[in-house]
Amino acid sequence: MTNIDIHRATTVWLGLLVLTLGSAWLGEGALPAGLTAVVVALIVGVKGLLVIRHYMGLTEPGSRLRLAMRLYFVVVPVLIVVSAGLGA
Amino acid sequence: MDLAVTAPPGGMTTVPGNRGIWVGILCELSEFALMFLAWAWFRQAHPEDFRAGPAMLNAGAGVANTVVMLTSGYFAVRAVLAIRRDDAVAARNWLVATLLGGLAFLLIKAFEFSWNIEHGVVGTGNSFVAMYYYLSFNHLVHVVWGCLGLIWAILRAQFGAYGAAEHEGLEAAVLYWHATDLAWIVIFPLLYVLH
Repeated sequence: MTNIDIHRATTVWLGLLVLTLGSAWLGEGALPAGLTAVVVALIVGVKGLLVIRHYMGLTEPGSRLRLAMRLYFVVVPVLIVVSAGLGA
Repeated sequence: MDLAVTAPPGGMTTVPGNRGIWVGILCELSEFALMFLAWAWFRQAHPEDFRAGPAMLNAGAGVANTVVMLTSGYFAVRAVLAIRRDDAVAARNWLVATLLGGLAFLLIKAFEFSWNIEHGVVGTGNSFVAMYYYLSFNHLVHVVWGCLGLIWAILRAQFGAYGAAEHEGLEAAVLYWHATDLAWIVIFPLLYVLH
């Protein structure tokens, strides 16, 4: 919420919608399961980081809170990929 | 643990909201992290259930709810931008729009659960379906909490409690809403996309 203007907020919102529709398309089986998991994990990570930065306004350099929130959207996508790899 | 939600001298904070809401958000996301681990565990234990699972669900409802949550989050950002301009009326209206998004999410979920029952998607004997209901209901509870927080912020805005100089409560309600959005960003592909 800090350092964001209406134009950027709108752009981020549209980007999040495009990424969501991309995920939905992947759900139709457009790609092999393993590749789907990797792309989905990347989309989850990007969407999460966009919300944390632009919607929640966690932009302070060196903030442990920002680090913890960002790490969440690194660890969870890794969990998705690992889970898909083990299940293959 | 120092999470840098400490007010520096002068009363200005560099992190939005307040310390209390960030405790709540971290608790919420930790709770969901455990559920995501459970999802991964049961996916390994019962791969056939999870491979066939997403096709059993109403994917359209899942996509619609994701669009609704993201759009509602955008409205919440607009509420914060409005109050920073000291436009309390616009901020209240954007909060109402955010709340309507939350109510739309609940309505779509009600439709989805009804559709599930009609199509035999019930949580007995299938690990994926059980996980689907477990994640969905837990997230639903957080959406309801978020809606209650938004109603409180709307009432406070209506009665002039917020302005450009002081709107910590509004920011806190909005931050909680975004955290609920974050959880859904993960839940959506786990349930509706990954085969």
